[in-house]
Amino acid sequence: MFWRVLWRLLRASSGRLALALVAVTSGAAVCAALLNLNLDATDKLTSEFRSLGANIVISPEPSANAETMDTSLLQNISALRAPELIAAAPYLYISAQAGEREAGVPVIVAGTWFDEVARMNSWWKVDGQWISDRGERTRCMVGQQVARQLGLAPGKPLLLRYGSREAPLQVSGVVTSGDSEDNQVFVSLAVAQELSGLAGRASLVQLSVRGTSRVFEDMIQRLSLAFPELSVQPVRQIAAAEGRLLERIRGLLFGTVFLILVLTSLGVLATTAGLALERRRDVGLMKALGGSVREVMHFFLAEAIAIGLAGGVLGAAVGMLLADWIGRRVFSTAVEPRLVVFPVTLALMVLATLAGALPLRLLGRVRPSEIFRGE
Amino acid sequence: MFIRIVVDSFARQPRRKLLTALALALGTAVATATLSVVLDVGDRLAREFRSLGANLLVPPQADTLPLEIGGVDYRPVASGAYLPEADLGKLKTIFWRNNIVGFTPFLDVPVEVRVDQGSAGNQPLRSTLIGTWYDHSVPVPNGGGSFATGISVTAPSWRLAGRWFKDGAAECVLGSAFAKRTGVTAGQKIMVRSGQRSLDLLVTGIVSTGGQEDEAIIAPLDMAQQLSDHQGQYRRLLVSALTKPEDTFSRRDPGAMTPVEYDRWYCSPYISSISHQMQEELPGVEVRAIRQVAEGEGRILTRVSALMWLVTGAALLAAALAVAATAGTTVLERAEEIGLMKALGAGKLVIGAFFLGEQWFIALLGGVIGYGAGLALARILGQRVFGISPELRLILLPVVLGLAAGVATIGSLLPLRNIIELDAAPVLRGE
Repeated sequence: MFWRVLWRLLRASSGRLALALVAVTSGAAVCAALLNLNLDATDKLTSEFRSLGANIVISPEPSANAETMDTSLLQNISALRAPELIAAAPYLYISAQAGEREAGVPVIVAGTWFDEVARMNSWWKVDGQWISDRGERTRCMVGQQVARQLGLAPGKPLLLRYGSREAPLQVSGVVTSGDSEDNQVFVSLAVAQELSGLAGRASLVQLSVRGTSRVFEDMIQRLSLAFPELSVQPVRQIAAAEGRLLERIRGLLFGTVFLILVLTSLGVLATTAGLALERRRDVGLMKALGGSVREVMHFFLAEAIAIGLAGGVLGAAVGMLLADWIGRRVFSTAVEPRLVVFPVTLALMVLATLAGALPLRLLGRVRPSEIFRGE
Repeated sequence: MFIRIVVDSFARQPRRKLLTALALALGTAVATATLSVVLDVGDRLAREFRSLGANLLVPPQADTLPLEIGGVDYRPVASGAYLPEADLGKLKTIFWRNNIVGFTPFLDVPVEVRVDQGSAGNQPLRSTLIGTWYDHSVPVPNGGGSFATGISVTAPSWRLAGRWFKDGAAECVLGSAFAKRTGVTAGQKIMVRSGQRSLDLLVTGIVSTGGQEDEAIIAPLDMAQQLSDHQGQYRRLLVSALTKPEDTFSRRDPGAMTPVEYDRWYCSPYISSISHQMQEELPGVEVRAIRQVAEGEGRILTRVSALMWLVTGAALLAAALAVAATAGTTVLERAEEIGLMKALGAGKLVIGAFFLGEQWFIALLGGVIGYGAGLALARILGQRVFGISPELRLILLPVVLGLAAGVATIGSLLPLRNIIELDAAPVLRGE
């Protein structure tokens, strides 16, 4: 009996109900999309911040008076299997001569792993080709200033000399970074080690670590423990800016999303309240037929919950899709759907519709005769 | 007559009208708050990004190749070109002078260091002395007063134990790695030597930067100039400027632009146009954007602004929904009144005008209240997040009022049309 009446009730005023359903659905969609986005924002933003480059540098402990360290630590770093670690690139800096014997120019040669550098220094502008092979032996990349001073271009040969050793290379690409890198020649680590006779050594290792300040501090702790004989330092400039910005952007997003959640709930509340006030005639009829106030109220509360649930489920699904679309547009990666969004949105919508049905309490005072007289 | 009816309707149902106005006020408040915040967010975040430090590097043109690792130049003093320190004030006379947050000249001198009484013995250590400004007052030409700048502005993330050196004093700050290696602490004296010249410097603090400066000695620019015999000169300048993220327009070659486009480019704070203006003022320099900072900043700024605009779009949508829903409900409640008006011979236009007038009045009222409340909300949000309240934008008032009126109109038009189409008799009978 209850269900049949409820069903009739819903069917009879399908037009208004459809409107209310649309309002609840769009409200839920907005809520779900923003909640999902808000939850995923930290993740997305910390990934974005990695475009700023290395934020941890490992170098020999200064008091040890050693200028280089053993590259075996790179295996140990990858053995840590930290998912936060985006890239780790060793660098061996040597001051070599570029060009033939009589026209030699002193230049800083940086030996590194090109595949890791490509992942870490996304801001490099390269004319020509990136080198993708870690063990590349015949090609090198040169900074833009080096290229200008020595008249180099992609495809041209470059001879590097260090003492009596020589490395004939071919320029693969010209790097523009606007910083020190413009004045350096980049070769693979193995070539620099052979040239300088420092087999298995590196001057420093740069790491790019993703995550909030806490994850970052944890990582530094772990690395310091793992390599007590080395100095593990944050790149202050990057780490400080990252922490600050992340906090700001998250605060901003959270504040705005909170305001919108409140507003959307109130919008849904207003719609259902309007619906409830329209029910005066039905209440009058039910009471005239002998229904108690409590019974009558049950119908309308059930109606409100039904709208809230239906709109909430529909809206939450639409909202997840919306969040995914926004994620693709803004961050060019999908936003991970968070399941917690679903119950929260649903609860919010049901609560709002129930609150909207509150004016029905006033209907308890409704006297059927007045209603039917049209007063 | 018209006004009397509207006023009358407010007097008869003050509570209901108040509720509608409240919903409208709420909607406009959220719209105003999010709009004020999002319009400011680019500027605020650009300023926050300055904690990354400099984004422009200015070396001399036609220089020999610097032997540079991580921003420290290891060339001997004799080779390479230098720039005059006296020109620097001109940087604050360019078109975008207010966007120049700070600048710092550097002069790196390779030195031999002898520690006064120390664990390092008598063996001289090789290091680099970086001459620079910490907090230096630069006179600005053409009556511009003076401008305080230095690494306090361009490298705010450097962490110091002790105190910075005083400008022009025979003091210095040691890089943390260098201090650790030599065991020198603040308060001790060191002797630095370059060629024939030498200086005694008092160590005032230990700085940690996470870069190559950790291996060096940082001293006032005057000291480095004396030591290298390059009075009034520097070799490298770092500039921190507020810039607009690069877009396809700014990446075009200014030489190939039409005069109108060129003016637009020149008058936008793109990193390329600021570089161009700096080059006009400082002869003999080259201005390079530090891509690590500029690219990263541009990328993050673009994404965050896009995100905030989308969120603001959602806020406007939510506000519109709330307002439209309330407006629609008020119209539906008045079906009987409309029936009566029709029975008394009012035309559709008159009824429509009457209701819209009423809605607009409510929208105006709620809108003004909402605008005020929204500004307060934006202030709270701005203060909490950035420590600065967003700029007061009067232009937002007509915008949000227009939005409120427009949404209220759309929200009430649909139900209004349905009701006006009804016959008067059944409505009045209460059917």
